[in-house]
Amino acid sequence: MRWVDWYGDASLYVLDVALACCSLEFDAAVPGSASPTVEPPTDGRTAVVISGTVTDRLAPAVASMVDAVRARQSVPPVVVAYGVCACSGGPYWDSYAVTKGVDTLLPVDVHVPGCPPTPDALREVLDAVVGAPA
Amino acid sequence: MSPTDAGVHGRIRLIEPACTSCMLCVRECPVWCITLDSHTEPDPDAAPGARVRLVNVLDRFVIDWNLCMYCGICVDECPFDALAWDAHHPAAAPVPEALRHGIAELA
Amino acid sequence: MTGVRVEDWHAAVLAACGDGYDWFDWLGCTDEIGVSDELRVVLSLRRLDEPGLPELLLECRVPRSEPRLASVRDVYAGAAWHEREAAEEFGVEFVGGDRRRLLLDGGVTAPLRKDEVLAARTAESWPGAKEPGESDAGAGAAGAASPSRRRMVPPGVPSPEVWGDRDPVSSPPDPAEVAASVSGGRVRRRAR
Repeated sequence: MRWVDWYGDASLYVLDVALACCSLEFDAAVPGSASPTVEPPTDGRTAVVISGTVTDRLAPAVASMVDAVRARQSVPPVVVAYGVCACSGGPYWDSYAVTKGVDTLLPVDVHVPGCPPTPDALREVLDAVVGAPA
Repeated sequence: MSPTDAGVHGRIRLIEPACTSCMLCVRECPVWCITLDSHTEPDPDAAPGARVRLVNVLDRFVIDWNLCMYCGICVDECPFDALAWDAHHPAAAPVPEALRHGIAELA
Repeated sequence: MTGVRVEDWHAAVLAACGDGYDWFDWLGCTDEIGVSDELRVVLSLRRLDEPGLPELLLECRVPRSEPRLASVRDVYAGAAWHEREAAEEFGVEFVGGDRRRLLLDGGVTAPLRKDEVLAARTAESWPGAKEPGESDAGAGAAGAASPSRRRMVPPGVPSPEVWGDRDPVSSPPDPAEVAASVSGGRVRRRAR
């Protein structure tokens, strides 16, 4: 898990919750101008992108990560379920060990379909976040 | 061009006139992301006075993009080539319901 | 693949290591139900001094009802994790091994045994259970599935007379029959 200053200009900070294969598409989506950041300013605009399968074992950690961001930031983060595993459990929905979508844990603002989605799909979602009024 | 030819696997589209509601795609889908409702009607093309034959009529066909894993088994299995790859990716949505696409969205 | 008896397992692994197969590759398990009432534990070793040589595979069969085997983590430290996984997924007990759970809490036991049914698939209604000409809205016009017609079961779910909706006074399902019936398709009749 790491924070990324997405455009490198402090306009959007993205928390990369990299759980499985979709995280590779996240990596491909990161703009060239991005810079890694330790933690965003508390009034910064943020997005949390959950990429990949959430196991039941890891689910509490994912939930508390998002809760921590919510508690810290004055503007609520945009929560993105990136890929079908994050949306519904995806191909592993019937597993004995998999959470059937992040929205069984916490509210999700954007559901990105695909297995995996394209990097462009994530860029479009985050471009729209920045485009939205604060 | 056959539906299984290479191209961008953006989404799977339904060619409604070709679908016979045989349920093969629904049953073969490994993640159960396809739902299909149909009913039967007497065959309108039967010759007058011929024995009544029933045909399936498709009522509802939904792909749940929250689940589809893009394996393409449905495209491969359809005996009537009613499913095909298409370059247009389904857009992200605020709620899961918006990612369940019916016959109109799948065209 | 070299078969090793349960009581010789640790000694055989130690001997292989001493013979130059000192690189641990993996340890895995399969459920042989339907073939024999056993779990098969397989160990793959390599020798780095002669990389062109094929792997050495050692296997040991333990009864499903009492799957107990000596841990070899004292020979290969890396085996500890693989043994934990086999223990969690198949219920094998590695004596002297690392007892910690990996991924699952107590609620699920030995999920990779073939007679363990995926609960989610039995709870969720399968869209493929409908027949052509049928819809959720109710019985279709003439020709749709009649109420007494047996429904197809999805892959991963045994047919009702084997598991689930059964005659309560009949004997418990035979694990081999549950394992065999999960391939789905047409509803099977139980062997008489």
